[in-house]
Amino acid sequence: MRRSAGAVVELGVPALLVVAAALLATVFSHSTQTYFINALVNVAIVVALYAFIGNSGVVSFGHISFVALGAWTAGVLSVPAAEKPAIMPNLAHGLRTTTVGNVPSLALAAAVGAAFALLVGLPLMRLSGLAAGIATFGVLEITHNILRYWEKIGPGLNTFSSVPETTGLTQAAACAVIAVVVAFVYQRSRYGRVLRATREDAAAARAVGVSMYMQRLIAFTLSGALAGFAGGVYVHLLPLNTEALYLDLTFITLAMLVIGGTTSLLGAVVGALAVSGVDSFLATAENGVSIAGWNVDLPAGTRVVVVGALMAIVLILRPLGLTGGREATLPRWARIGSAP
Amino acid sequence: MRRGRWLAAIVAVAAIAAAVVATSTYGGTTAKKPIVIGWAFDSSGAMAPFDNPALAAAKIEIAHWNARGGVLGRKLKLNTCDTQGNKPDIAKACAVKLLGQHADVIFTTCDVDLAAPVVQEAINRGKLAVASCIGTDQMGPKRFGSKGRLAFTFGNVAQDEGSAMADYAWKRGWRKAALATDTVIVYFKNVVQAFEARWKQLGGKVVASETYQSLGGNNVQNVVTRLNSVKADVVVTSTAGAFGALSTLISGLRSLGNNTPVINSWAGDGTYWLPKSPKVTNYYFLTYASVFGDDPSRAVNTLAKQIHAGTGGFITGPAAVDGVVTAIRRSHGSTKGIVLAKTMERFRKVPTISGLVSFSKNLHSVFGRRYRVIRIQDNVPKVVGTIVAKKVVKI
Repeated sequence: MRRSAGAVVELGVPALLVVAAALLATVFSHSTQTYFINALVNVAIVVALYAFIGNSGVVSFGHISFVALGAWTAGVLSVPAAEKPAIMPNLAHGLRTTTVGNVPSLALAAAVGAAFALLVGLPLMRLSGLAAGIATFGVLEITHNILRYWEKIGPGLNTFSSVPETTGLTQAAACAVIAVVVAFVYQRSRYGRVLRATREDAAAARAVGVSMYMQRLIAFTLSGALAGFAGGVYVHLLPLNTEALYLDLTFITLAMLVIGGTTSLLGAVVGALAVSGVDSFLATAENGVSIAGWNVDLPAGTRVVVVGALMAIVLILRPLGLTGGREATLPRWARIGSAP
Repeated sequence: MRRGRWLAAIVAVAAIAAAVVATSTYGGTTAKKPIVIGWAFDSSGAMAPFDNPALAAAKIEIAHWNARGGVLGRKLKLNTCDTQGNKPDIAKACAVKLLGQHADVIFTTCDVDLAAPVVQEAINRGKLAVASCIGTDQMGPKRFGSKGRLAFTFGNVAQDEGSAMADYAWKRGWRKAALATDTVIVYFKNVVQAFEARWKQLGGKVVASETYQSLGGNNVQNVVTRLNSVKADVVVTSTAGAFGALSTLISGLRSLGNNTPVINSWAGDGTYWLPKSPKVTNYYFLTYASVFGDDPSRAVNTLAKQIHAGTGGFITGPAAVDGVVTAIRRSHGSTKGIVLAKTMERFRKVPTISGLVSFSKNLHSVFGRRYRVIRIQDNVPKVVGTIVAKKVVKI
């Protein structure tokens, strides 16, 4: 009974945060809502990172390549067939003639993300520590250049246009909640627990017969699916190009995870919402904003400086992130009350 | 007496009625809704050297129109939003904000890929999307499909610009060209492709064809080495100083003792990127207008001085305002996107401060402009001629 109540809280709090952010957005103007929607897409991406990095303790710089592949898949497949020749003149025949709807495009984005993560995970999941991090960075570089120059599978250097903009508040919130639920189910499963055991003590886990390679590969594939899914959601929000799915997004989403707390699902959600919130507020303030009668108009470039400084300050004061890397739990009184 | 009172009352009522009518008529004129231009621009990123001067000059042009009573009695109002380096989410939020402020026409940044979030938002809402200086044929139906009918640019189409570069190079007696293509944006690539197409039509020879990436790419030095090993009469490129590779390309060649003329498009306009040593020599570029005080047009020189313009692209800002104003007037005051688009598609040699502007149903970018050719020698820029492309080539 107490365990199930704990599980409800562990899942409910991050999911409620996502829903609360979506509800809060409705109070604001349409232009501000764009930032909220973007923040919710960031939640989906950071949760995807968490599913692997948080549970395994292995840093990956390559997850944005799965996001990019997901975006490419959903984007290429959902642009109306009549408009593909104009936007993607060199597209392969099969892709040129195939168009799918919103939901199938997201499902296919997740499938492609998973398949690619499995493919690159087969050799890479044998690595640990810094070597694994650098190898995943290599994946990012390769994917970035392939998407940039291989025009048979997408727009190449061009920015996607004419992708149906189906990612509004509802879709962004729903997809972020789906990502949270999948990550939660995984971390509560036997596989998730075993992978966290390898994170805490690799030698002990091996000693009891755990295949670290296999567990990491499962998590990598799952988080690849979530990242691809998030990429699909992202391309249905904004016209994207390869530059928008490269280094900046890699480092800002990793920073979100670290600031929230790398080892908890709550941390992933809190970090994504907090950093996105500050970043968006400063972006708005650079264009002038009125707060309770006060006109705030920050000089150009303030956003980048302040976000960087705040991230450093948070990590100095709370090295384990805003949540301390812990999940949401029942209040003390509730735990005592429900003791057997 | 009684009749007098009635008469006085009638006169008073008539006077009040006349006053009310007069006031309402007067109020009707002044209360006419302004025409709102929403401009999403990049104040600090790679497009800032192009967006900022175009916007500054456009503000002056808008003030001129308003001083003359506006457009068909309606004032022009300009709302701006900084896309902060054209970050896609900020750019989209800017477009939504400007549309929320009842923008009738949306202006956007000078690169079609970076402009896409703003253009998409505007055309999805049925508004005219205008770029002052996007230089490709993709600002229109080619990139944005059927809704792209609402997208226009007052920049020159790359097929025209590259062709003019080839015509100028040929006129100078150069016959062997080495091509160095910056692949970072479509405009850069298209200019060099257009040069090559026209160059081959003229009978010129291409002795090298190299590619590099600016904006953080680190392979331009390799291209310098390879270009130095070929004997060419001219090196052809299209890249912007603000994108980082131009300075390396020119300095690299000159440091190796290679003084082959380099010809660039409007992207290479300005002196802000010039290295102090070695000084830039034998460097040519084609542009909309000279900002160095020696433009053939006095009006251009006055405006350039007024806004301290850095590149000739500034002239496309007021040209775009003039163009939109002409479209609204020809559409009898309508600001509906599709009405304005249909009118603009019929533009044939419409006079603007940047020269004559023509569009067609398929080509929503300007062709046939008279380019200024500027040479930089020892870091000193000077107009050395003008040229109009003889052909708009197909690429």
